[in-house]
Amino acid sequence: MIEFGVLLLPFLEASLRTATPLGFAALGELVTERAGVINLGLEGAIIAGCFGALAGAGLGGPYAGVLAGIAAGAAVAMVFAVFVLALRADQIIAGTAMTLLALGITGTLYRLVYGAGGAALDTPTLAPWALPGLSSLPGLGPVLFTQPLPTYVLYLLVPALLWWMHRTGAGLALRAIGEHRAAAEAAGVRSQRSRAAAIIFGGAMGGLSGATLVLAQVGTFNEGMSAGRGFIAIAIVVLGRWSVLGTALAALVFGAAFALQYLFQAMDWALPYQLFLAFPYVLTLVLLALLRGRAAAPLELGRQD
Amino acid sequence: MRKVLRALLIIHTAILATACGTKTSGAGDDSVFKVALLTPGPISDQAWNSSAYRGLERIRDSLGAEISHIQTKTPAEFEENFRQYGAKGFDLVIGHGFEFQDAAQRVGPEYPNTVYVTTGGTGTGNNIAALSFAFDEPSYLAGIAAATVSQSGIMAVLGGTELPPVKASFAAFEAGAQSVRPDIKVLTAFIGNWDDAAAGKEQALALLSRRADVIFQNADAAGLGAFQAVRENGKSFVIGANADQNAVAPEVTLGSVVIDLPHAFLLVAREVQEGSFRPRVITYDTKSDVVRWVPNPGLTVIRPHVQAHIESLRAQFVDGSFKLPTAATP
Repeated sequence: MIEFGVLLLPFLEASLRTATPLGFAALGELVTERAGVINLGLEGAIIAGCFGALAGAGLGGPYAGVLAGIAAGAAVAMVFAVFVLALRADQIIAGTAMTLLALGITGTLYRLVYGAGGAALDTPTLAPWALPGLSSLPGLGPVLFTQPLPTYVLYLLVPALLWWMHRTGAGLALRAIGEHRAAAEAAGVRSQRSRAAAIIFGGAMGGLSGATLVLAQVGTFNEGMSAGRGFIAIAIVVLGRWSVLGTALAALVFGAAFALQYLFQAMDWALPYQLFLAFPYVLTLVLLALLRGRAAAPLELGRQD
Repeated sequence: MRKVLRALLIIHTAILATACGTKTSGAGDDSVFKVALLTPGPISDQAWNSSAYRGLERIRDSLGAEISHIQTKTPAEFEENFRQYGAKGFDLVIGHGFEFQDAAQRVGPEYPNTVYVTTGGTGTGNNIAALSFAFDEPSYLAGIAAATVSQSGIMAVLGGTELPPVKASFAAFEAGAQSVRPDIKVLTAFIGNWDDAAAGKEQALALLSRRADVIFQNADAAGLGAFQAVRENGKSFVIGANADQNAVAPEVTLGSVVIDLPHAFLLVAREVQEGSFRPRVITYDTKSDVVRWVPNPGLTVIRPHVQAHIESLRAQFVDGSFKLPTAATP
């Protein structure tokens, strides 16, 4: 019998680590989508966040890196907002273009700044903090509370968003815009401003997702390292039925699926590795099929002006 | 309609920005020796692709060639880019990887004045050659070194995707390890791509949690994650591949299985420039000193008698008295 007890802890840690960047990106996209805008440029915001984090950390340490990552993600989203809101471009096409643009620009900048040799592994990273008391709780204590800063931010982001979206006027206005913009405007909501804010928030969270990858996990940048996480995050929002808790939970499910996949491959089972790699995606399809039911997408989602 | 046009304009701008990495100073002067390189990944990966780019730079510096590089993303682009360079009158186009060989076969006949070379693969034609690296030989030596260092008796190999040369190298690593330690176990995992360094790190951590204490990684940029995982773990070792990666994480890197791509590229480019090129599978092995096992000089964990054993096997690879059972590296 394989030592499952020994593997449980590494599995839970891996789930949480993998879920963290996905969670940021998905919650940011959730806010954007609740305002009726689908931002396929999320992948671009993540890779911009990765590069921003690397550059910022090199200049001013890991915390400066986090801020720079957030700013870079927000900047990409701002460009998207200009195209979609001011120039009224198609959301899908503008988003795709932003992703391509950001992947290209970060690659080019990386080579310009760091040369073909790359940045190696000497980026200052965020060490895990053990929260006194909580981290020594039996069971999940060490897993949940010995984490780098971004994970704690994510813990706080979920209740904060939940409160903001359902208990504040601005949250209500945002949801109203996503469901019926004309009615919201008739009620005096300034929809352009709210949508712009929602898009930029989404980009900032994408940037934070990228900063987490670089500063809390890998410790370096490489071209294309976002590796499709933006698109997975968009799928997570769908899987989470456009709710805050659902999205957070779906991100965790995804993180667990990837972690399980890593562990399966390490098991020395004589099965083709492609089976394991496909596992998280097959799981998504199955869950989506099972969760079919009432439509939960914001009615204005993706609608062009 | 106007919105669609505007959106298409954005995409166009985006694609232009993506293609920025390309450095072609245009065709025109036919007397200049022109060499192009297509890499499957970013040249900043400190491995397979960055080593190839250094090879291209060496061709420029040593042979005075005009050089151009494109990073390809999908197989559909392989042919298109091969064709582009053929049409621009390039003398030599290198498709850097096993995966380029089909495209070379299809495009080669259309541009008889351009020589197409793929690194890896076996396809040849009138103006097509393949560089074949006996990467399994130094991988075998790395396996011996690794097995004598492992405490747990469990090691791991971690690849990007299961390309035939990667598979052959991993098999040789395992064979080498078992030649000195028959009971040693080697776990195998693949990341599924060559860019996702975070996934590379997680996969390496999963292997470490299964008590593997030496990881031989061959995953280019994604493999950087494996270096990070091993460095944080602190009780295990990692082995680099393709380029000399001993400096990536010097305190935990046992050594690197190196292909001296700059040397190999220069040899074939010189042939093409001098007009002595013959289409064939050009094999680079331990004897030609293009592939080699480079232990990390900063670590002293490989014991002297193991070093001596490895050195004697290396000599036997050179004089041909020892051959690997699976010698045919595609």
